Amino acid sequence: MTAVPDPTAELPVAIAARPAPGLGALFLTCLKIGLLSFGGGLSGWLYQEFVARNRWISDEDFASSLAISQMLPGANVVNLVICMGDELRGLAGSVACVLGFLVGPFFAVIALSALFDSLPDVTMLEAASNGVAYAALGLLLVICLKGVQRATKFPPGLVVIAAVAIAVGLLKLPLIPLVLVIAPVSVALAWRRS
Amino acid sequence: MRDDDLVTLIAVFVPFSLLSIGGGSAIIAGIQHESVAVHGWISSREFIDLFAISRAAPGPGTMLATLIGWKVAGWWGALAASLALFLPSSLLCYGVIKVSNAHKAKRWHKAMREGLAPVGVGLVIAGVISIFRLSGGGLVAAAIAVASAAILTWMPRFPTLGILVLGAATTSALYSLGD
Repeated sequence: MTAVPDPTAELPVAIAARPAPGLGALFLTCLKIGLLSFGGGLSGWLYQEFVARNRWISDEDFASSLAISQMLPGANVVNLVICMGDELRGLAGSVACVLGFLVGPFFAVIALSALFDSLPDVTMLEAASNGVAYAALGLLLVICLKGVQRATKFPPGLVVIAAVAIAVGLLKLPLIPLVLVIAPVSVALAWRRS
Repeated sequence: MRDDDLVTLIAVFVPFSLLSIGGGSAIIAGIQHESVAVHGWISSREFIDLFAISRAAPGPGTMLATLIGWKVAGWWGALAASLALFLPSSLLCYGVIKVSNAHKAKRWHKAMREGLAPVGVGLVIAGVISIFRLSGGGLVAAAIAVASAAILTWMPRFPTLGILVLGAATTSALYSLGD
């Protein structure tokens, strides 16, 4: 196999976004993710499609939309596709994204429920679905790596990342009050930087 | 299908939609209480099964509501429960980003996006830690997750679904060897 240089390999973090996709492309992309995202890690899928592969959304916009999505009520990933859909195509973009994103899982859960009722032995299936879930964790790790990499250019950002990860992930502090304390500090740091 | 079933489903799930701050896990216990103890739609055992199915299926875990609606009132129940759970929070989210985007040109808006980005990354790391602990997968889980991230880092064109299939193949093989 000849080594074809990968054009995306060494590009700087701030890459110019491509022209906004059409409504059909948004709907189909979200439909695909909705149907294939077994094992969780949906924000990892969204990152792969919207940021890494298609470059419709910048890394930083993705991460900040993710923070907003987690603070508001509702499934985080649904809020996230609403934010990105709006950014790309306004209200119609949000609607296309949410519809595409939910129509697949709507039928999939019902089909799976019928299937489970008819399966006698599910232990092998469980082993396989564990593997899917572990791999989906890897999709989330990609977001973490990119975020940390970006933050090395601005060390206070690294401190914010570490503080949130430790407080919520290890110390199990409640997410909303914690973000309400840390987010203003982080925004103030970004303000002073600019 | 009875109309009052649909009305009850909507009345149960709309408040949960607006209460699910921080995602679906915040409301699972509440949904269980309402659908098992209060309304007697399903048994505790059935609830656990439906929860497991909603986790195994693609899409957000809160599709659990779709399944409960399906059990209660068939297709119309599934549709009513899904809309009741997803529509109110979605409208609120859209409203919030519209208000914030109205100030897109302002310096504070840029600072807000820049400042929230590391918070978002920290939350994803926290999520990875808690999912990892809950999964109880230990070294195997860590190895598969790290390998998947490594593949996507060095081969950005590698299909995402392929990553999941590799993960499933690995644990299935380990399971067969362990037999």
